[in-house]
Amino acid sequence: MLSVKKDQKPFMAKFKLSYVAMLIVLVLLAISALPNLYPNKSWLHVSNAPHSETQAVPSTKALVTFLNNQGLEVEQGLDKQSTINIMLNEPTKSAQAQAAIKAQYPNTQVKIVEHATSPLWLQNFGLSPIKLGLDLNGGVLFVLDVDLDKAVDEQLVSAYQQAKSIIFKQKAHGLKAQQTEHGFEINALPNAVQKLNPVIDELQSRFANLAVTTTGNGNVKNAKFSYSEQGRSNFDKEVMSQTLTTLRSRIEELGITEAVTQRQGKQRIRIELPGVQDPTEAKRIIGATASLGFYQLKEVGGKTFNMQSGGTINLDPVPIFTGDHINNANIGRDDWGKPLVQLSLDGQGGDAMSAFSKANIGKPMATVYSEYSQNASGETVKKSEVINVANIAQHLSSRFSITNMKSQQAAADLALLLRAGSLTAPVTIVHEQTIGPSLGSENISNGLAALMLGMGITLAFMALWYRRLGLIANVALLLNLTSLVGLMSLLPGVVLTLPGIAGLVLTIGMAVDTNVIIFERIKEERRKGRTPYQAIQEGYKQAANTIFDANITTMITALILYGIGYGPVKGFAITLALGLITSVFTGVYVSKVLSQTLYLKLAKKAGVNAHA
Amino acid sequence: MLNTFLKGEAGTRLRFSGMILSAILVLLSVFTLSQKGLNFGLDFTGGYLTEFTTSQSVELKELKSFITKNHNGEFELTAQGNSHFQLREAPSDSVNSDRSDWQSAITQNADINAEVLSSAYIGSQVGDELFEQGCLALFSAMVAVMLYLAVRFEWRLAVGSVVALVHDLLLVLGLFSLLQIEFNLTVLASLLAIIGYSLNDSIIVGDRVRELLRVKSNNALSPASIINNAIKSTLTRTLITSGTTLATVASVWLLAGAPLQGFAIALFTGIVVGTFSSICIAATLPELLGLSAKNYEEKLDVKTQALMDMP
Repeated sequence: MLSVKKDQKPFMAKFKLSYVAMLIVLVLLAISALPNLYPNKSWLHVSNAPHSETQAVPSTKALVTFLNNQGLEVEQGLDKQSTINIMLNEPTKSAQAQAAIKAQYPNTQVKIVEHATSPLWLQNFGLSPIKLGLDLNGGVLFVLDVDLDKAVDEQLVSAYQQAKSIIFKQKAHGLKAQQTEHGFEINALPNAVQKLNPVIDELQSRFANLAVTTTGNGNVKNAKFSYSEQGRSNFDKEVMSQTLTTLRSRIEELGITEAVTQRQGKQRIRIELPGVQDPTEAKRIIGATASLGFYQLKEVGGKTFNMQSGGTINLDPVPIFTGDHINNANIGRDDWGKPLVQLSLDGQGGDAMSAFSKANIGKPMATVYSEYSQNASGETVKKSEVINVANIAQHLSSRFSITNMKSQQAAADLALLLRAGSLTAPVTIVHEQTIGPSLGSENISNGLAALMLGMGITLAFMALWYRRLGLIANVALLLNLTSLVGLMSLLPGVVLTLPGIAGLVLTIGMAVDTNVIIFERIKEERRKGRTPYQAIQEGYKQAANTIFDANITTMITALILYGIGYGPVKGFAITLALGLITSVFTGVYVSKVLSQTLYLKLAKKAGVNAHA
Repeated sequence: MLNTFLKGEAGTRLRFSGMILSAILVLLSVFTLSQKGLNFGLDFTGGYLTEFTTSQSVELKELKSFITKNHNGEFELTAQGNSHFQLREAPSDSVNSDRSDWQSAITQNADINAEVLSSAYIGSQVGDELFEQGCLALFSAMVAVMLYLAVRFEWRLAVGSVVALVHDLLLVLGLFSLLQIEFNLTVLASLLAIIGYSLNDSIIVGDRVRELLRVKSNNALSPASIINNAIKSTLTRTLITSGTTLATVASVWLLAGAPLQGFAIALFTGIVVGTFSSICIAATLPELLGLSAKNYEEKLDVKTQALMDMP
């Protein structure tokens, strides 16, 4: 291909403009990369538990002494009004210290918070170091499977029970509800056909996703209730988002600040808890499906429930109100020192409670504690137990307590779960991983060592093989690494993992490819007898096609990997893809400018013909 | 074509011998894969994996017999270093089986004094899903790349690159099967990276072949010598790039520790065979398929030219 002579002047103008733009991009990326020189530090924030009224936080001095006595040396302790901030000598022991403080001062809230250590002006720009994945940071990973089928079944059973109670309330004699394979149906006798529609309307107002098909057979009418495909997918969506919200607030209640909770696939939820060392507490709380309901007793009919103390009791299957209407819950002790949970209800729950208790003074009310558990054959079953039957002594309002808790732990857990909300669908942990903090930091130092060695070899080789041009390639390579780190720090949602570091190292090895292709071209053009400037121009132009082709295939695979992979593999895909972008940027554009200006100037100064 | 092989210059002879060697290696890989299969890691099988260190170096045998005493199921213990071990268990059937016995035993025993570094549990269902997703990723990457090549290259060159790619993947899988190295999610990721890099080499040679074929003065030359010229002029670049990439992958292999070992081995092999196949297959196969300068003369209308000169 012949070179087309270009007009020199517009070209120079274009060159100057792109030069400035390039410089701005490089400087911005370099600034974004800066915070990585100042790694975050873990601090412990100790404050009063948000729902307790008593002063539980000890003095800073007492706390520091306590921790030092536990062998957890405190480097710095700051008193910030209601919160004490503590930094340990060994930040990896923060989780251990958190547990120790919680055990010693039960009514405090202890959070592990990452503090930036970079200069303030960087923080003011909103710049922070690259987020580290669990394999580098240490922590716990859970992947939960949400049992949507079970949730639908439960919902249908509940709808069926409500249908029965609506029929009863509307005094719609001649209507009969009965369960079927895929839901339930209501049969209307000839004299009650006109009563069917109000019942259906009432039911649909309570269960929006429920589909109904009515058929008339002679003068008998039949209405079948089930979930249509659309209704089912709406329901699934609602359950998933409700589950996510509940899990997030539960994690918040546990005092874990940097958690990542996201949906993964159709019915999975991925939870990453960096810094957490002991998964048992988190597991107990996250997987807990406990819920509360308050029921009226029934002498005749109703549903039979087991009593915690043994025996059975018959209750109205439709609750007066459920745990969803609980605003706040705290643990306390009754007059005999037994643990209890104090509740306060929201407006709706308060009204229901107020109306019910006013009408039923002197009558008993039952508290039912339900939980999903797995039976011997591995199936998820709902277990409901009446934990307490109490006579309503007076007109109750929105504040009352539940007594008869098994233990202090059970009371504390129930209070937490009631605050954070209950799960409508049972969840099971299908993937659990704990990575110790020492393993995480070992992974970082190993990864960095590999990066240094790989980089060192590459730089040394390029400098020796291409001499002056090699120096340009090396500058481009260093700029590439800086830009890549800057880009990764800048983009939200980018997480560095151990395979990600490997991707970084690989990028360094591959990045010189761009330069090598170009330099080989330049050499060839020189052999053809072109002047150095022309050779450089031609070399970059000729190589552009090849470089584009060569990088696009890797880009395709990186994008596919990003779309399909999870966790560490996703981290690898991100570094690979971003690395391709930055290496084309620095390898083609930046080093073109560098070689055109620096190399030619140097060559002119030396007074010899440039040779590559 | 045998004729070319017999009469051809040294370069052509080398390329064809390399291709025969490749064919033999592919057959061997397929054979080991069918006989031994792959040693799938926890990611794909599901189960429990616990990694721990001991305060002093312990013999694997001793540790094994000690754990057997405190463990009521099957397990597999491997040493990662003098005092660094990995214990793998199959996913348990019953939910309530107590797995903590052996852990507390080794952490409390004064001689072993183990510290658990990490533990993982993956349900067998999740393992199956990860495997399916992995295969899907590999498959879709191949299809996407083939589509790209079909648009960008003459079909003979494209077929050469794709065959080279399949060859590279098969050889890496064959090695993993032969040595029974653990095949996990990161190794799968490296296979995808190999797809990218293997094509990279093939494309660069292919680009040069295409360029030389389009130069009018080369019309007199046989395709074989044009391909030889193309390889000769890209050889330095191929060797340098593969060399620096191999050096960085080797530093990952050496320094980045056990978690990336499989990844590094896969990439290292992938790059070595990829470089080899870019010359012996990607550039040689089109010749067998009848590539000649004529393929390009006919096609040089305005539209294709514009497409090919796309930056």
